Amino acid sequence: MSVHLLGIRHHGPGSSRHVLNALAEIQPDIILIEGPPEGEAMLSWAAHKDMQPPVALLAYVPDNPQQAVFYPFTIHSPEWNAILYGLNNHIPLRFIDMPLAHGFATEWKETPLHNETSELAAHVRKNPIAYLAEIAGFDDPEEWWEHRFEIAQQPYEVFEAIAESMAALRQTLPQRADRREDIREAFMRKSIRIAQKEGFERIAVICGAWHVPALTQLPKQKEDDALLKNLPKTKVESTWIPWTNDRMAFESGYGAGVESPGWYMHHWQHPDDHGTLWLSHTARVFRENQVDISSAHIIEAVRLAGALAGLRGFPRPGLKELNEATVAVMCMGEPVLMKVIYRELIVGKAFGQIPEGTPQVPLQRNLELLAKRFRIKVVPEHKTLKLDLREENDLQKSILLHRLQLLDINWGTMESVSGKGTFKEEWTLRWYPELTIRLLEKAPWGNTVEEAATKYLKNTASKCTRLDEITPLVQSAIPADLPTALNAVMQKMDELAASTSDISMLMDAFPPLAQVSRYGNVRKTDRESIDLIMTTIFYRAIAGLPAGCTGIDDEQAAVMTDKIKEVNQAIRMLEKPELTEDWTAALETIFHADRTAPFIQGYCCKALYDSRQLGMDSTFNAFSKALSPSNEPSASANWLEGFLTDAATVLILDDVIWAVVNDWLQSLDDETFLQVVPLLRRTFANFSNVEKRKIAGRAKQGKAGALIPQTIDIDPQRAEKVLPVLEMLMGF
Amino acid sequence: MSQNILRQAAEAQFAQEIEELKKHDKHTRPENWLLSPHAVVTYLMGGTLDNGFEISCKYIGNRRLMEIAVATLTTDRALLLYGLPGTAKSWVSEHISAAISGDSGLVIQGTAGTGEDSVRYGWNYAQLLSAGPVPEAIVETPVMRGMKEGKIVRVEELTRIGSDVQDSLITILSEKMLPIPELNTKVMAVRGFNIIATANNRDKGVNDLSSALKRRFNTVILPVPETIEEEVEIVQQRVASFSKSIDLPVEKPILEEINRIVTVFRELRNGVSSDGKTKLKSPSGTLSTAEAISVMNSGLSLAYHFGDASLRADDLASGLIGAIIKDPVQDKIVFQEYMETVLKQRDGWKDIYRACREII
Repeated sequence: MSVHLLGIRHHGPGSSRHVLNALAEIQPDIILIEGPPEGEAMLSWAAHKDMQPPVALLAYVPDNPQQAVFYPFTIHSPEWNAILYGLNNHIPLRFIDMPLAHGFATEWKETPLHNETSELAAHVRKNPIAYLAEIAGFDDPEEWWEHRFEIAQQPYEVFEAIAESMAALRQTLPQRADRREDIREAFMRKSIRIAQKEGFERIAVICGAWHVPALTQLPKQKEDDALLKNLPKTKVESTWIPWTNDRMAFESGYGAGVESPGWYMHHWQHPDDHGTLWLSHTARVFRENQVDISSAHIIEAVRLAGALAGLRGFPRPGLKELNEATVAVMCMGEPVLMKVIYRELIVGKAFGQIPEGTPQVPLQRNLELLAKRFRIKVVPEHKTLKLDLREENDLQKSILLHRLQLLDINWGTMESVSGKGTFKEEWTLRWYPELTIRLLEKAPWGNTVEEAATKYLKNTASKCTRLDEITPLVQSAIPADLPTALNAVMQKMDELAASTSDISMLMDAFPPLAQVSRYGNVRKTDRESIDLIMTTIFYRAIAGLPAGCTGIDDEQAAVMTDKIKEVNQAIRMLEKPELTEDWTAALETIFHADRTAPFIQGYCCKALYDSRQLGMDSTFNAFSKALSPSNEPSASANWLEGFLTDAATVLILDDVIWAVVNDWLQSLDDETFLQVVPLLRRTFANFSNVEKRKIAGRAKQGKAGALIPQTIDIDPQRAEKVLPVLEMLMGF
Repeated sequence: MSQNILRQAAEAQFAQEIEELKKHDKHTRPENWLLSPHAVVTYLMGGTLDNGFEISCKYIGNRRLMEIAVATLTTDRALLLYGLPGTAKSWVSEHISAAISGDSGLVIQGTAGTGEDSVRYGWNYAQLLSAGPVPEAIVETPVMRGMKEGKIVRVEELTRIGSDVQDSLITILSEKMLPIPELNTKVMAVRGFNIIATANNRDKGVNDLSSALKRRFNTVILPVPETIEEEVEIVQQRVASFSKSIDLPVEKPILEEINRIVTVFRELRNGVSSDGKTKLKSPSGTLSTAEAISVMNSGLSLAYHFGDASLRADDLASGLIGAIIKDPVQDKIVFQEYMETVLKQRDGWKDIYRACREII
């Protein structure tokens, strides 16, 4: 009876090779692997023909999926290869780490000891290999391990060497109280004992190199049992999820990841490559990215990499040598170009796939079903999706994406579309593994995306206590097409609106509703109920508005003006006569009220002029009244600012406004002019240089100032001839 | 006689180091190399030999860059050292050729006027007229000599040379031979021959390398020193060796002054004050480490010859301003801003602020 401990570096291709060689030599009758026992049931899927690494074993607490651990595997992971070896040769496999049932249930606290030795110990424990590399004089641990074990094509002794160096490390380092680690290793020992008792003859144990010394000599069973007594427990479930190469760098269940999975993959597939193949790939990637690289470049780079390896005393070039050769030969010494190599090759774009039918939670299955129906692939690549909401199929896709967004699963992000109409949407899709966790997190809300989104939205709405919390929910709920949830949200909104006295919140709530009411029909939403709520909110808002505009400071006035502006736009967009009328009336009240903040007053004057409620004469009167020298200078300045906020274009193009300002300016005598110059400067300072230049140009031309309405005699017959061309141009 | 030489060539100055390295060199030497590549890197980066002999550090910075540079010379590509002015390109090339060939004197200084006859070969016209085109009438260039003797040839400021002349290097670099059509013969390069070129990427209006020529070079970009500690060390080392060679006794510890000069340079170069709080404009000059060294050196000379031999802010100010203000209008504004916003506010820097104020 023999126990073979194979200490590995997680994800190391060299380790993988050594493990396979060792397994072939040992011919074990059972293989024990460092991993969560809860995942054992999922092991059989590994050999499925549709299983494509990189994949990860995801273990999570069903009641709280945020508590989750990934165990990523890729084709060059030693554990993965051991699993495949076991499955193909019908050798029983077991995961022997501490069950996550205990791992999740306990809060692991490390007792930090603040002295130098323990800090060193903590550093070493975190990355023992880095420490060994430091001793060996390598500044990069990856490089050291690579040259020591991964590249060196040595036989079985490697494992003994690893075991010895780790044993030495563990002995010399000051002991650190890490209960979690003790328990984990006790569990591993327990599994070995069980296997021994069950009468297995040749036991192969595959675990991280660090643990090997702890498993070499088994202490008394009693000690371990004492450690493992009375551990708390929780429920854990596990499943396979597709993984990506760039996530291999993640810290996960197997500790720190690897930073260059693409390179390791290459190394695994082509162990004999001395750089030729790698650099040819590099050249290809460069060429695809419009960098001209000739075969001669590759030849020279291979030579330089070889020379560098020789200079550093390595048997063959490692990734660093190859990269340096690439920079010197192919990139003219410019490391910026290496970014693309890093992304495409060194990390690589591989993503995994898991076979259909792998156990999943219902919500996950539903999403996959929907994705399949809509022919959208759930892949970790950026993809753009253009949707035309007038088409049923596209509309459904959009609804799905919006529902996922409601559930905080941001698979797609909406891009702003340049173009007319609200029937177009552009999405950027990118799935990443964390989204799977979020999906699991939302699993309790329902078994389909629709159900989960509805319930989740209702719940969120019921928790809202302020109007401004619920307003964004309405905006996101409508495109998600959840009528029942929307009703609940609306009701809640109505309730909140009734109890809100804050006008600014009410005003914030109005424009999104107006938008829905105006364009909601693209999505066939229930318009009546929205209109009802919108109208009530509108009247609640304008009832308090005039009062809300008095007695506020400059800053508040600017904020309020922005809100008035938005509501004003919304009202104009709605084109509902009764609302428009009442809105105008409200504006007038504000405008005429004496104590309204001057900034708002200025804006209202402008808004009323825009809607033709105020004629040119009265505008002119209001203007000069507000700016008359007897007024407080700051009030006049604010008024002017409000009147002309982002109105430079208006000033340039609108003859009436131009005339008003121009006439007023010219009517000033020198003394008054000097007094108001600072005010004017303040307003005009906000305009851009181009705008100022245009205004100056106009001032130069129009000395006469007064508005001269130009009437041109139009020959209707000749004018008509232009119309067909115009129509063609406009695309009617 | 050698005592009177203003500046010794690298191979003479460090003759003993090269000798010791040679004795203890256990690695294989490429043909016609004085040292193995490994020993060349040690020569550049410094280290201690088995017998305790100390090799001084010539290049303070990333060892990997030197490894790439030396490894390149073992392949059949030439080496191009690229970077801002004053990032030790020529210094490195001089030392590499001293360590490899024991001769750093095969140099072509590239200028806009460098013609083909100073790259390939020239003619002794008196001979040519009297004896016709005979081998004796040829005037050898450093390149030709390097090829014949198997040595490293240095080309300084390669990009200053006109493109047509640059391209005459292509045959030499790829076929390692130099045809002499007039004599119907050619010079074949002996092993050990290679070229180290330097070029700076700051100057405008230079002649960019043709892609055919580019392909014959491996490029190593020498960066400006990464940390302030590194930069101070460089300046200190070079200033110390300067005062030794000019016999300037350094009375007081000048480390603090070096630190200040380097800080000023770094701040202006990076466009932000060292505490990261103030944004600054950068002047048009490069403000390289080499310039910091020369500011220190001129300060020392001033202090020694015109002052009381202790380095003061006044001694440094003129050199500092000379290094920073290259453009009398733009740079002056930049530096004045810097003086008012940074120098003036900094504790203990009043002396240097006042000294600069007096000059500007």
